[in-house]
Amino acid sequence: MTSFQSTLGEEEGIAEELAENQRAISIAEFFEKNKHMLGFDSGARGLVTAVKEAVDNALDAAEEAGILPDIYVEIQEDGDYYRLIVEDNGPGLTKESLPKVFGKLLYGSRFHAREQSRGQQGIGISAAVLYSQLTSGKPAKITSRTQGSSEAEYFELIIDTDDNEPEISVEETASWDRPHGTRIELEMEANMRARNQLHDYIKHTAVVNPHARLELKEPSAHFKSERATDELPEETEEIRPHPHGVELGTVMKMLSATDSHSISGFLQEEFTRVGKKTATSVIDEFRDRHFGREMSWEPPEATESADVAGAIESATANKGATATADFAETIATTVSNRERISHHKLVDIVESAAEATEDDHGTTFGDTVCENAVEAAWREIVGLSNEIDDDGTSSADTESDADSRITANIHALADDATSTRKDDEVIHAFAERLAGKFEDAEDVRHRFTHGELQSAVDRAAELTEEYDEAAFGDTARENVVEKIWAAMRTVPDDPPLVRELAESRDASSQLVDGMRATDIMAPPTRCLSPITDELIEAGLRKEFDADFYAAATRDAEVSGGDPFIVEAGIAYGGDLQAEGSGDVLRFANRVPLVYQRGACATTDVVKQIGWRNYGLEQPGGSGIPNGPVVIMVHVASTNVPFTSESKDAVANVPEIEDEIELAIREASRELKSYLNKRRSMEKRRRKQNVLGQILPEMAEKVAEVTGNPEPDIDDAVARIMNNVLVERELEENGDGQAVSVIVENHTSTTESFELTDIVSAEPRGLSDGATVVEMDGEWFVKWDGDVSSGDEAVLEYEVDTDASFDLDVSGVESEKLTVTDQ
Amino acid sequence: MSTDTNQEAREQLIDLAAEFYDQFETGEIPSMSLPTRTKSNIEYDEEKGVWVYGDRTSTRSANSVRGARKLLKATYTIEFLADQLEEDRSSTLRELYYLSESWDNDNAQFNDQDESNGLVEDLEIVSGVTREDFHMRPEESGAKVMGPIHIREQTKRGDRDIHCQLDVGQGGYQIPNNPDMIEFLDNDAEFVLCVETGGMRDRLVENGFDDEYDAIVVHLGGQPARATRRLTKRFHDELGLPVVVFADGDPWSYRIFGSIAYGSIKSAHLSEYLATPEAQYIGIQPADIVEYDLPTDPLSDSDINALESELSDPRFQTDYWEEQIELQLEIGKKAEQQSLAARGLDFVTETYLPERLEAMDVI
Repeated sequence: MTSFQSTLGEEEGIAEELAENQRAISIAEFFEKNKHMLGFDSGARGLVTAVKEAVDNALDAAEEAGILPDIYVEIQEDGDYYRLIVEDNGPGLTKESLPKVFGKLLYGSRFHAREQSRGQQGIGISAAVLYSQLTSGKPAKITSRTQGSSEAEYFELIIDTDDNEPEISVEETASWDRPHGTRIELEMEANMRARNQLHDYIKHTAVVNPHARLELKEPSAHFKSERATDELPEETEEIRPHPHGVELGTVMKMLSATDSHSISGFLQEEFTRVGKKTATSVIDEFRDRHFGREMSWEPPEATESADVAGAIESATANKGATATADFAETIATTVSNRERISHHKLVDIVESAAEATEDDHGTTFGDTVCENAVEAAWREIVGLSNEIDDDGTSSADTESDADSRITANIHALADDATSTRKDDEVIHAFAERLAGKFEDAEDVRHRFTHGELQSAVDRAAELTEEYDEAAFGDTARENVVEKIWAAMRTVPDDPPLVRELAESRDASSQLVDGMRATDIMAPPTRCLSPITDELIEAGLRKEFDADFYAAATRDAEVSGGDPFIVEAGIAYGGDLQAEGSGDVLRFANRVPLVYQRGACATTDVVKQIGWRNYGLEQPGGSGIPNGPVVIMVHVASTNVPFTSESKDAVANVPEIEDEIELAIREASRELKSYLNKRRSMEKRRRKQNVLGQILPEMAEKVAEVTGNPEPDIDDAVARIMNNVLVERELEENGDGQAVSVIVENHTSTTESFELTDIVSAEPRGLSDGATVVEMDGEWFVKWDGDVSSGDEAVLEYEVDTDASFDLDVSGVESEKLTVTDQ
Repeated sequence: MSTDTNQEAREQLIDLAAEFYDQFETGEIPSMSLPTRTKSNIEYDEEKGVWVYGDRTSTRSANSVRGARKLLKATYTIEFLADQLEEDRSSTLRELYYLSESWDNDNAQFNDQDESNGLVEDLEIVSGVTREDFHMRPEESGAKVMGPIHIREQTKRGDRDIHCQLDVGQGGYQIPNNPDMIEFLDNDAEFVLCVETGGMRDRLVENGFDDEYDAIVVHLGGQPARATRRLTKRFHDELGLPVVVFADGDPWSYRIFGSIAYGSIKSAHLSEYLATPEAQYIGIQPADIVEYDLPTDPLSDSDINALESELSDPRFQTDYWEEQIELQLEIGKKAEQQSLAARGLDFVTETYLPERLEAMDVI
């Protein structure tokens, strides 16, 4: 730096010289140097990112056109390079827009829309094109056919990084077997080291897009993921911004662009969830900030010396005694009937009294008369009449004799607002000081903004602390401010027009503050398209072979004016990998997030949850749970807050984190009961296995020792296992046999069973509740019912002696069921 | 042992198995109910003057895997014992434990000897037949008798007449596992002196105490085996000899006395058969520690716990024991029998024992 300093004076042209080297940087050039920002930092990752961008685009395009997506991804090895081909069945692109979509960064339709979509900025696919041309030097080859056109368009293009414009080298028509869609072919320097991530990306995309058909073919793998549903996600609708989610700059831009004249109109027109009532509330909040509020005082009591009627009478001249008295009386009565009165309210009262008196007496009470009446009445109300009346001499006396009306009023409020421990003397001294601020105010209407009131209170408090040596802390000051502010009234002044507002930064800022301070309904959610819990479950079922699935979709919430919905799904057991920690699948607007797992709010939330409560293993009580579990989280928002442009991780926004946690917990609730049940069934099975071995051995030994035949232990076993025991008893009965099937319930709950007995001969005399159907020479006896704990139910019928049986019982969990059928 | 008792014991065992059988047949969960074997469940039987089990029972049920295994083992043991009785053979508790290894069923094998010992006790209790009648022997206890008594022992190799002073060496007459096989012929004994440690027994024998005072010296060898207690009881009941117990002055030795006089908690079902309620404690008493100024060791924490636990043991709730135990807790000391040697090797036989025996009206 020193060298510059020394030469500054000597070489006058240095600034100009420097300026010559300064020039605008094209966005394409910028990203050329900062590939990592878009997820193209290495060959391995570049390939995955390119696939991701192309597939996201394809899905968006097909869905927007109402087409069930059918996407084919192929990666070919070609010497040192890899060729990536992505084909979709979307609506195709027109000849005009195609080059820009692929050959110009930041070209897109969705950046300005408040609507859930995968891509947003229009960077992704063109960045892939840019990466491909940078590493291979070859142009992107794009084929697109719009629906109904007989030929496809074929382009070869690169991005001119100097001016961020497409440079087309080949443009021709071609034939293509797809009736509509787009095909992009990119060659790039890459490697397949990130194969797992690539497979995960495709697989996870399939989970959250159960309506899409995906196919991946790469040098060493080829797999397809079929649709789980034929229903397209519900179409989303664009919404206007929510008043809670806009910033000052945006509002100023909107103010200058709007056609509305009034603020109310502007608010209702440009924002979502703002109607007339909400607009009024926002404007009131704006008024408080823009104009300040007017203090309201308690009207004088009859016992006080203040004489409102008398003062008005003396201030009103030439209006006739009766009319004047009537006028003054009406005002005085109305005022004294009010709990508190502010200046603008007094003006209202005087005006309506003037009208009423005019109607009654025919005398005109003009503006001057009214103004005088207001002034006289106000003086009485705020207790300033003495000073004027007594030639300016006795004001000191009155103050020392008794408190002014203002001091008394403020004292009452301050006393209410501060803790009872405060000395009344101190409060009084403070009230007197604060009252002075009102008494000396230039604006006799006692109009202050919140800030002005704050500083007045601070000042009075500081003086009190200084002279009365009493503490008057922040909490006390705050309470006093809030108490007085609540006693102050919003003024009826007309707010400025939109065009006036647009010119004033301060006023605009007051409007933004007003919007934030108003309670406004959460934004509508039709702009979002959650996957829904059912489809999440279906998606998980499709891609993971597990024993248990659950999912939950939360209601929409708002963060920074953008509505969002969080959904979570869980799969457990089955073929999922049992060793090591579980898998966390992260999604934002139906796009899998593959990289930067550790930086993502989703991962953080999963780690914070105490998974042991849900029956999962979690070493140390925090972190990703262990075992065969997949946890998926989907954040859908009109504006997902990512940590970076490469859109790999959701930022730690508290509102979103809370919802993620609630969604996971909701989905996991069922997991807990499932795991508990599974565990108790496992225990039961183990017990049954061991006892199933020991008890027959014991029975055998007992029979041996006592010299008896082996005892029948089924009843004892069923009782020990608290099982439902189903037994058959046969008894010869003339030429046939009587059959009874007995269901004994040894469990602690009522059990429902469905029983099917397939008999080889026709059963007769079936007991109540049972039905029989003949099929190909076999008779199906169906019987179902409930048996309460400790009870038994019996099915009876008769059949020929040579009949054979085949008994099947369902409805009772197999672990709880013992069927003994010889 | 006659075949009649064998047959009777065998039938008792088979009845037990039959009970399990019936439970299976009626669809009940096989189970076996036993008195709870803790000190809170023993009570004094006024009539018999011994401590027996109270009314509380615990149940071994096939309801749980553990319970089912126990019952399976019981069944196998019943079969083994029944066979043993039929063949008129006998085995030791340890042999039973190892024998289970040969059973064809892994679930029936014992995990350790405590388990098999416990099971035999269980079977004694439910069947009302003693272990000896099952022909189950403990390992050799090493307990010996020395004194002016002539006995006849039935052995597998015929009857043997033995005088327990004249026909035996320095070691004395070894008590057989089943002392009911002994017949008392004649004796000159005045009283029975049970001695805890081998060292003290040897001292008494060397000093000729048994000869001089016509005492039957019974060596207990720590916690006395059943056979030792049974024989002591028979000396008292059948020969009318007073019984005194000479042990260390610590809580563990009081328990030894307790098991001789009142019966042990583990075998309270046999108290009537084993305990000698009239037995008296000669020493070392805590009072002796003070009186004879014996060399001592301080009480350890476990000693204190044991003393306190004895205070709450119903068997020790007598004025004498409460006084002695409280005195010991107060002085915080304990002394061994051999500490009397501090006053010379003959002090125990010439001074201590005669003084104590006189004080107790035994001589």
